[in-house]
Amino acid sequence: MVDFQLRPAQQQIIRFRQGKMGILAVPGSGKTWTLSYLAAELLAQKVLQRNQEILIVTLVNSAVDVFSQRIRAFLEARGLMPIDYRVRTLHGLANDIVRERPELVGLDEKFQIIDERESDRICRSAVDAWLKQNYSTIEPFLDQDSTLSQDYNFQLQFPDFLQDIAQSFISQAKDRCLTPEDLRQKIDQLPVKLPLLEMGWSIYHDYQRALRYRGAVDFSDLIRLAYNALEWDIALLERLQYRWPYILEDEAQDSNWMQEQILRKLVGDHGNWVRVGDPNQAIYETFTTANPRYLHQFVRETDVIRRELPNSGRSTKSIMDLANQLIRWTMQEHPVLEVRDALHAPPFIRPLPPSDSQSNPSDDPSKITLYKPRLTPDQEIELVVRSIKNWLKDHLDWTVAVLVPRADRGLQIVEKFKEEGIPFEDSLLKTTSSTRQTARMLGDILAFLADPTAPKKLAKVYQTWRLAESNDLELDHPAEEVLQQQIEADMALILQCQNLEEYLYPSPNKDWLAAVLPPNDPAEVDSTEPIHKLSPYQRLDRFRQLVRRWQETILIPVDQLILTLAQDLFRQPVDLALAHKLALILRQAQDAHPAWHLHELAQELTVISNNQRRFIGFSKNDSGFNPEDYKGVVVVATMHKAKGLEWDRVYLLSVNNYDFPSGAPYDRYQPEKWFIGGRLNLQAETLAQLEWLLDPNQQSFPSEGKPTQQARLNYIRERIRLLFVGITRAKRELIITWNSGRNKNQQPALALRELWDYWDTHYAQTTS
Amino acid sequence: MQNLSARQNELIQLPIHSIIFLEGVAGTGKTTAAVGRLLTLIQQGIPAQQIFILVPQRTLAQPYREVTNDPDLPPGGAVTILTIGGLARRLVELFWPEIAESAGFHYPEVPPTFLTLETAQYFMAKLVRPLLEKGYFASLSLDPNRLYSQILDNLNKAAIIGIPYTEIGGRLKSAWNGSPGQLRVYDDVQECASLFRQFCFEHNLLDFSLQIDLFLTHLLPNPMVKAALNQQYRHLIADNLEEDIPVTHEFIRQWLPHLESALLIYDLGGGYRVFLGADPTSAYSLKDRCSQKIQFDASFIHDDPQRNLLEMMNCSLNDILPPSPTSELRTRLQTISQRFYPQMLDLVTKRICTLINEEGISPQEIVVLAPYLNDSLRFSLTNRLERAGIPVRSHRPSRALREEAVIRTMLNLAVLAHPQWLERVPLNKADLAASFFLTLDGLDLIRAQLLANSVYFEQNKKGKLAPFEKIAPSIQERITYRIGEKYERLRTWITEYASQPAQELELFFIRIFDEILTTPGFRFYQNERAGELVANLVESVQKFRWSIPPSLPLGAAESGLEYIQMLQEGVIAAQYLRSWEREASEAVFLAPAYTFLLANRAVDVQIWLDIGSSGWYERLFQPLTHPYVLSRNWENGKVWTAEDEQRVSQQNLSRIVLGLLRRCRRMVWIGFSELGESGFEQRGLLLRAIQRTLEIINQEQSNG
Repeated sequence: MVDFQLRPAQQQIIRFRQGKMGILAVPGSGKTWTLSYLAAELLAQKVLQRNQEILIVTLVNSAVDVFSQRIRAFLEARGLMPIDYRVRTLHGLANDIVRERPELVGLDEKFQIIDERESDRICRSAVDAWLKQNYSTIEPFLDQDSTLSQDYNFQLQFPDFLQDIAQSFISQAKDRCLTPEDLRQKIDQLPVKLPLLEMGWSIYHDYQRALRYRGAVDFSDLIRLAYNALEWDIALLERLQYRWPYILEDEAQDSNWMQEQILRKLVGDHGNWVRVGDPNQAIYETFTTANPRYLHQFVRETDVIRRELPNSGRSTKSIMDLANQLIRWTMQEHPVLEVRDALHAPPFIRPLPPSDSQSNPSDDPSKITLYKPRLTPDQEIELVVRSIKNWLKDHLDWTVAVLVPRADRGLQIVEKFKEEGIPFEDSLLKTTSSTRQTARMLGDILAFLADPTAPKKLAKVYQTWRLAESNDLELDHPAEEVLQQQIEADMALILQCQNLEEYLYPSPNKDWLAAVLPPNDPAEVDSTEPIHKLSPYQRLDRFRQLVRRWQETILIPVDQLILTLAQDLFRQPVDLALAHKLALILRQAQDAHPAWHLHELAQELTVISNNQRRFIGFSKNDSGFNPEDYKGVVVVATMHKAKGLEWDRVYLLSVNNYDFPSGAPYDRYQPEKWFIGGRLNLQAETLAQLEWLLDPNQQSFPSEGKPTQQARLNYIRERIRLLFVGITRAKRELIITWNSGRNKNQQPALALRELWDYWDTHYAQTTS
Repeated sequence: MQNLSARQNELIQLPIHSIIFLEGVAGTGKTTAAVGRLLTLIQQGIPAQQIFILVPQRTLAQPYREVTNDPDLPPGGAVTILTIGGLARRLVELFWPEIAESAGFHYPEVPPTFLTLETAQYFMAKLVRPLLEKGYFASLSLDPNRLYSQILDNLNKAAIIGIPYTEIGGRLKSAWNGSPGQLRVYDDVQECASLFRQFCFEHNLLDFSLQIDLFLTHLLPNPMVKAALNQQYRHLIADNLEEDIPVTHEFIRQWLPHLESALLIYDLGGGYRVFLGADPTSAYSLKDRCSQKIQFDASFIHDDPQRNLLEMMNCSLNDILPPSPTSELRTRLQTISQRFYPQMLDLVTKRICTLINEEGISPQEIVVLAPYLNDSLRFSLTNRLERAGIPVRSHRPSRALREEAVIRTMLNLAVLAHPQWLERVPLNKADLAASFFLTLDGLDLIRAQLLANSVYFEQNKKGKLAPFEKIAPSIQERITYRIGEKYERLRTWITEYASQPAQELELFFIRIFDEILTTPGFRFYQNERAGELVANLVESVQKFRWSIPPSLPLGAAESGLEYIQMLQEGVIAAQYLRSWEREASEAVFLAPAYTFLLANRAVDVQIWLDIGSSGWYERLFQPLTHPYVLSRNWENGKVWTAEDEQRVSQQNLSRIVLGLLRRCRRMVWIGFSELGESGFEQRGLLLRAIQRTLEIINQEQSNG
């Protein structure tokens, strides 16, 4: 077992045996660790009866495996079998519940869950169809500039924008358990026609019909249906209440209304419920029903034990001071009174107690830089790149991250790093290795099989084949270089071959390979000889034989095709397991779309490899990002994706009033589109009307503009918390910069100015 | 005949005129004794044609069929072996003129058309599809093909438990405890079921449910039918009664007083076909009607440790204090555990190799069982075993025709020969390239693509193939003239065919196959497998055409197009048995657990996969039907809750696990992967029961 000593705050939590407990934690206080430990402790104390489990609910897939492994380690250290607990995201839990009795909620045994990508596809076609018929409905909302309809950017952005509205409308309606039919009834009772509601309903109606026809549900349905199942079948509820007498919930600050309802039902009158969260890190609230308020309310309930995890060993005192100051300023001095609840304390972040066996990094205020001068976006990047370049050479065993508010900004920086030859890691901007590579490799081959006359695609297949081999070889760096050159040379050769049949299926008088590389080596080669040791002719000849074999596979069902390719390509168990899963997925896709060909299936794999869709399962290999694996390499990530991670040195970029507005008259808000008249936040307006529709007699109608104002406040709140998350990622060194934006009219974020002032005084005091 | 036990001999030697109820768990030699009794009857001079053998499904008749085919038997007529469905159909055919009018058929003078499951589904689709458009079943998320089949399933269930089909909706509604909004779908179900039944009456169509209905309500009470039955058959052997449906039991109950002898056999602990309407309770109630009651207790299969294992598992499953494990038990229940699924399959393969090559177990004494057997698992494991040189067969009884490349090619060619179909059945270049690739001998995929690109133009929807000579010379050269010549033969044939009046689709398939595709130069030449597939296709098309009653005239071309569309949409799966699946060779057997249980045989070694899955005990969840609510044992009006669900799950699990163990002589291996094939960990009831059992065994070992 890990050698450790429980802190007093942790000890209090570990002693929990029954009832309800709400824990407010600060960044770096070891929430996951404590909760895992509690789970193991409960199991060790044998609190469970037959067929009972401890249920752990967390926010994202990547956390599921972290929990599982931790609990397993704790249990094994105590000599216990690692069973009797279940870690789930809310989606996973909903899936478990619905699968208990699918027909209860109108589903078939084999119901499909479509993921975001498929959901996007369906929603988009519903939006396009609607737009074709109903442009005039939405036109009055557009900016009355007559050139708008010809504007290229408008044409590009507008359908996407409507799709965003439609999607949030649909998921909110589902969150509120409203079917299109329910909604229609309510709308029909209104004295006037409301265009936004009509639009939302119409798209929702089409979307849901398409799902039904596929026998499918989307993620929001899954949660809604789980809730329904619990509500309708008391015996099912009782059975699940029995099965999960303990529910431990992590990241409870991001809990939404539905999650809370489902868990409340499962806990019932006699269950035990522990909720841990840091409301100051709630950054997933925009246009969802998630809200840190739920956690705050929970800890105030009379039967709930309130606990805190205030000690954090992550950062230096200076960094903690800065973060605490952000809380204090927001609570007491933010110019917009309504948003003063964005951050909350106590608990403030406190260092580890002196008695602790570990300690915070030693403080060095000079390692905090809050950069004041005005910079253009390009200058900002240059400054950061220069700074990193200087710093990196002396800190090869340190971790460092560049954190940005938006992914596109991250990509700009990555480009610069490439130019400058600075080692970087950008997988957090996209996705991580395993799934991507496996899916991509298989996708490349399918793409070629679908288009077998294309030399470019064949060259790619060649690269894939060689990469798969090199993954299994443990080559040192120079050998790796040689291998790369070999592969590139061979690919260049293949690209020269215009008529691929002359290469792959030569006739005696037309043999491209023999013509470009006269084979003077012995014809027979040991088939176990590693490829990189073969002559160019032998390599390309072996490849040719393999490709011919693969071309025969187009005649077998796609799942078998994938498994066959995988056997030829992969050795690593995880790759083979992923391929097996991909085979199942493609088979399912093929069954759902009988008209699909290899071409479409190849695209499906590309989509998975680009992580445009969430790929459930194999979470550890898919998202277990560990900053410690990237010492001496600059990790580029969004602040959102950085949550839960920590680095020795952190750069926060673009901390200006566009990404972090504060309610000043000159602030601009991303959700308010330039092509909408009066800069309304149309999404907020639509959703507010939907909310109102739930109970039109009790609430007054949201007059135009009011929801936009409300949305601004929410946005300001969330962005303050995002800044808080960014700051608290740093262990020892922190650099914050800002830029003036594309139009050079942006200001430093108000919070940043505030931190400047604080730091000037504070630093002067500390150093004097 | 193998050595029989005293109990078995006792049964065989009972006086001929006995009405016997024989019960016992699997492996106690009941069927063997029944076969012995059958032989004795014949040897004692009972004419074979007086003997009727009734089984719930055809495969279970195998032991009887084997012995009645024995050339050493005294000469004479043949024993009749049927399922209740087979009997019903035979009687309907015989007595059609007698009952058709009173039953309500519109054309009693015309013979009826019998529907298969698929053709019934076709007609159901025709009727229901327009209603779906109108918003029927709006609150469901369900693939339409499954929707059609569930409505049919309801009709069948009503028929086999003997309730009027008009009660289906009401019964389902009264058991419902979900959303009230969902109740409407049961009205829709009822309406569609009634429409379908009406349609059958209007067009002389007989699906399974209607055959059973007629059997129960019109044939059985009919004095002529009774007389004919009693005259022809004097002796009855009914095996696996617990797997049969209530109608069968009702039929036997009525028939028993008129028979000279009967042997009714009941497997205690069976009932695996409950999902399909089997009713062990109603089967067991026949016991009271029998004058002789015999029970077999001694297992021919188990030794002591194996019996001990069975008891231990029984205790783990049912929360009973377990007996102490014997020292040998550790070798009787063992695990293969890995993190990932394919890794586990590798180890399972290795283990099978060891069992066969080192421990001398013969391949047919090993079965690999999983709750479901999807194609990926079947392919992965078959492939691994074959590479290891282990013979393997898989019993996944059938596969849809449209999944076969040969069939898709035949369909594509049919579309080319009927270009007017293109509007409804589009054909693109990729399809065509694959079809060329598969038919023109010596053509590779690259040239196939080139050819398709050069001769076919999707956009014009005319479906005309361009002649080879119209292709640019440089491309001609790339494709090669040799291929060009073959292509031309195919194209000319198709063009000529298309210019003539349409023939029946099956004729098209037969002709193009015989006249072109199996001639030298084409890939189906001397290709037995393709021949077999095409024969299946032809049969399926024929069946489809024959199912269309004269009252619904459909021209040759239209019926062909209908068929192709139905096949592509999956309404008709046209499942078929592949020849290699039929071979019962000496091979490791890979099957879903239920299939193995119903094959009624024991083996030395069982390997269980996916033990974390809930598929071991959960019923199929279908929103439009319900195997327990639509059964005789369900009190009409009672609400079905999760508690009921759990109770039957627990029963099913016990039944299946004990059933498997009773069919296992030496050992069970558990193949377990932490992450299942989709990458999730699974923690079903079976896994927990096995863990408990293993814990006890291990504890005992360490204490001992």
